[in-house]
Amino acid sequence: MGIFEQALRRASVSPEVEEAVDAAPNRVNEFGYDPWGFSPSFAKIGYTIAKRTLLPWFRPEVHGIEHVPSGRVLLIANHSGQLPFDGVVIALVMMLHGKPPRAIRAMVERAFPSMPFVNEVMMRGGAVLGDPVNCRNLLEDDQAILVFPEGARGGGKLWKNRYQLQAFGRGFMRLALQTKTPIVPVSVVGGEESIISVYNAKRLAKLLGMPYVPISPLLPVLGPLALAPMPVKFHVRFGAPLHFEGPPDDEDTRIDDKVERVKDAIRAQIATDRATRKGIFR
Amino acid sequence: MTVLVTGFAGGLAREVARALRRAGREVVGVDYRPIPQLEGDLEGVETHRAQYHKTAIDDVFRRRRYEAVLHLGRVGNLSERMQKRFDLNVMGTRRLFASAKSYGVRRLVVLSTFHVYGASPANHTPISEEDPLRAGPDFPEIADAIQLDAMATQWAFQHPEVGLAVLRPTNVVGAAIDNTMSRLLRRERVPKLLGFNPMTQFIHARDLAEAIVAAMNGTERGVFNVAGATAIPWDTAIDIVGARRLPVPGSIAMAAVRAFSTFPAYLVNFLKYPCVITDGAFRKAFGWRPALDMRATLEDVRRTRRVEEGSSASGSESAPQRTS
Repeated sequence: MGIFEQALRRASVSPEVEEAVDAAPNRVNEFGYDPWGFSPSFAKIGYTIAKRTLLPWFRPEVHGIEHVPSGRVLLIANHSGQLPFDGVVIALVMMLHGKPPRAIRAMVERAFPSMPFVNEVMMRGGAVLGDPVNCRNLLEDDQAILVFPEGARGGGKLWKNRYQLQAFGRGFMRLALQTKTPIVPVSVVGGEESIISVYNAKRLAKLLGMPYVPISPLLPVLGPLALAPMPVKFHVRFGAPLHFEGPPDDEDTRIDDKVERVKDAIRAQIATDRATRKGIFR
Repeated sequence: MTVLVTGFAGGLAREVARALRRAGREVVGVDYRPIPQLEGDLEGVETHRAQYHKTAIDDVFRRRRYEAVLHLGRVGNLSERMQKRFDLNVMGTRRLFASAKSYGVRRLVVLSTFHVYGASPANHTPISEEDPLRAGPDFPEIADAIQLDAMATQWAFQHPEVGLAVLRPTNVVGAAIDNTMSRLLRRERVPKLLGFNPMTQFIHARDLAEAIVAAMNGTERGVFNVAGATAIPWDTAIDIVGARRLPVPGSIAMAAVRAFSTFPAYLVNFLKYPCVITDGAFRKAFGWRPALDMRATLEDVRRTRRVEEGSSASGSESAPQRTS
């Protein structure tokens, strides 16, 4: 990372990125790291690069960002696209358009901490393992947390299932109840068409220790480039915050009812943006 | 008042003995290994050589009355045979506990290790005393350490008349310490796993010695993490001690370690995954905090690097404390 950081230190960090990262409540020590390995100076560089490459590529259109309250908040979004560009785009949008700009912390799939290099880049950028203790600690610090409750079921979604929400975990709802955190439903339209997968090579995935391995129909034509995202247009919509009350250790079925309300909100937002967009690419 | 300290051949026990003597306590040291000549501020300390699981240890108790026993002698060195480690760590600790109880010892402090938590991709941050001990399933060879820890923790509640505190410190370093982690950091090139750079904690032996004395003087029973100043990436630790990084592909590291080296395989995971512990409960219970910050802690290792390279640790050098 040394060379990477040095080479990019010269690249000027965007002022919005600078402001958002500096404003984020964190427990950064005198060495510039928080206990999870988040490094604001690395995040500033990473987000500046992401801003310069992914924004022109995906041209996200942002709706309803004023709904995001200040203080602790759980952003609950639909997940897709094989590679987590949807997460990076939501993070960028929160930095560039948030009022005030905010640096979010993403809860990541259990497979990521064992992936070489990927784990380091993610942790330095502010992602943490999706675990109740991690999440509670960050919420109690009044941070903004991004959760994809579909997890790998969403990330590795096949083309035929696009925009169909897969099963949601219940953990985020229990944490929201426990820490009295408002939930903002977030929908991302576009991501689900960015990398096409028609088949999940489960055996290969298991061999490689990955949550899934997408097989693209464009593989024979484009080769490895078939796994690069297409320049689809992203629509990111933030819904009105949902406040839930009740015992965090409630029965699964009662938690499921609450989760279903979040899913309904996300579904409605997805429907709105799919109906109004002019096409996949514009 | 007299304090019995086990593991007295090691650097940490002697650090503790110094702190105790400064506080006006009398110290008796015991170890299963030969105890080197004691000089300077430790001159005149009574020492015994006894295996903790043999009858010789009972004599140590018969001769004097101890107010407190500090059991710092856990054998972490995996080059000792599994059976021997089990005898010393599990059977020996049982015997020490039994003696301490029958001779009316009021306070027991047992030094375990944070290694029992295991470094795992599933670890959250920070790890507290309630969290599971994950090291066992992957690395059955440290079963003795886990059993010692579990046995001591259970004993603390079964025998409230002996106030027992179990400490799980993070990586112990310092000029006087010669455990696996310190030896690793004293190498000319320190291995790092390619693509991994976990947050890591270190505690200086002097700070840990003060923590042990604080635990001895306190009354709270139970198990406590002891974490030291702050967490830093492994690469940063290598930089502070002034070593060069030796990148090793993670995929071959474990196989290479198992095949060719005495480096304990379970420690490879600590260069890969985080195991960041919190010592909030310990600080609250015993009013302790580290005196050294992270830079000062590791710079003490840096100072001993040249010495290590010049002379091999033997001969007139004091016997190493090997708490893995």
